[in-house]
Amino acid sequence: MLMCRELATKASEYLDDRLGAGERLSIKMHLLMCRRCRAFVGQLRNSITLMEAHSSQRLAPAYAERLDHEIQRALANASGDNPG
Amino acid sequence: MSIAVQHQDESQLLHRLQAGHADAFHEAVRTYTPGMLAVARYYTDPSSAEDIVQDSWVSVVDAIRQFEGRASLKTWLHRIVANRAKNLLRKQGREVTMDFADALDPALAARFKPNGRWAVPPRISTVESAEALLENGALSECLDKHLAHLPENQRSALLLYEAHQRRSDEVCNILDVSASNLRVLLHRARQKIFLMVEQFQETGEC
Repeated sequence: MLMCRELATKASEYLDDRLGAGERLSIKMHLLMCRRCRAFVGQLRNSITLMEAHSSQRLAPAYAERLDHEIQRALANASGDNPG
Repeated sequence: MSIAVQHQDESQLLHRLQAGHADAFHEAVRTYTPGMLAVARYYTDPSSAEDIVQDSWVSVVDAIRQFEGRASLKTWLHRIVANRAKNLLRKQGREVTMDFADALDPALAARFKPNGRWAVPPRISTVESAEALLENGALSECLDKHLAHLPENQRSALLLYEAHQRRSDEVCNILDVSASNLRVLLHRARQKIFLMVEQFQETGEC
């Protein structure tokens, strides 16, 4: 029988739907019976949603400007190489 | 934004980049640099990562004219950064070493009895919805902090997985990891966030 530790190990694959039918079913059966693992999987699902909302990273303005500057130099060089 | 709109925007941006318009590069830098930094950070420290991404953009100014659109622009840019980072590591005689042995975070693994049952079960049994949790500004700050402190390879895997609409194949290709190792990185990162949210809900502290 599937134990809680094994379920916790496979919980991401379960939530991302990467498991075969057999493993998926045994996790579902376990979750029906185990309140603790239901709490774990529910909270892990929440964690994933929270991170999605946070995964858009901010870009430091000074660094973005440095990149603009370097790109402009490269563009100027490129047009100098190929006049017209 | 729908995928169709994204594609249309991307092909317009691509034409302007290929024509060498500075404003197109200005826009592309702001759209694609965070993902490119995540790729570089997978391999190296923050300051080298910034240099690698800068060199990549400079090379893109020329290379973009040869870009044929077989991959998405984002995937193409991410591969350029990954190749540069890998070359740099090779020159320095270093490599990325990772521990894929256990998919369980040690702090979580310690919460099980030898028989595989919970010894210290999840402390929050009434699960608040993620939407409700997100409205909490303090939790939001706490998440920022913990995301910043994740091991680089876990953080990069997580950011890229979301950036590539959960397409494991693309992320594996860019980072040169197997599908199963990517699963481990993602699961380890998510457990860290789980532990953080649990502590935050229980104590109100980050």
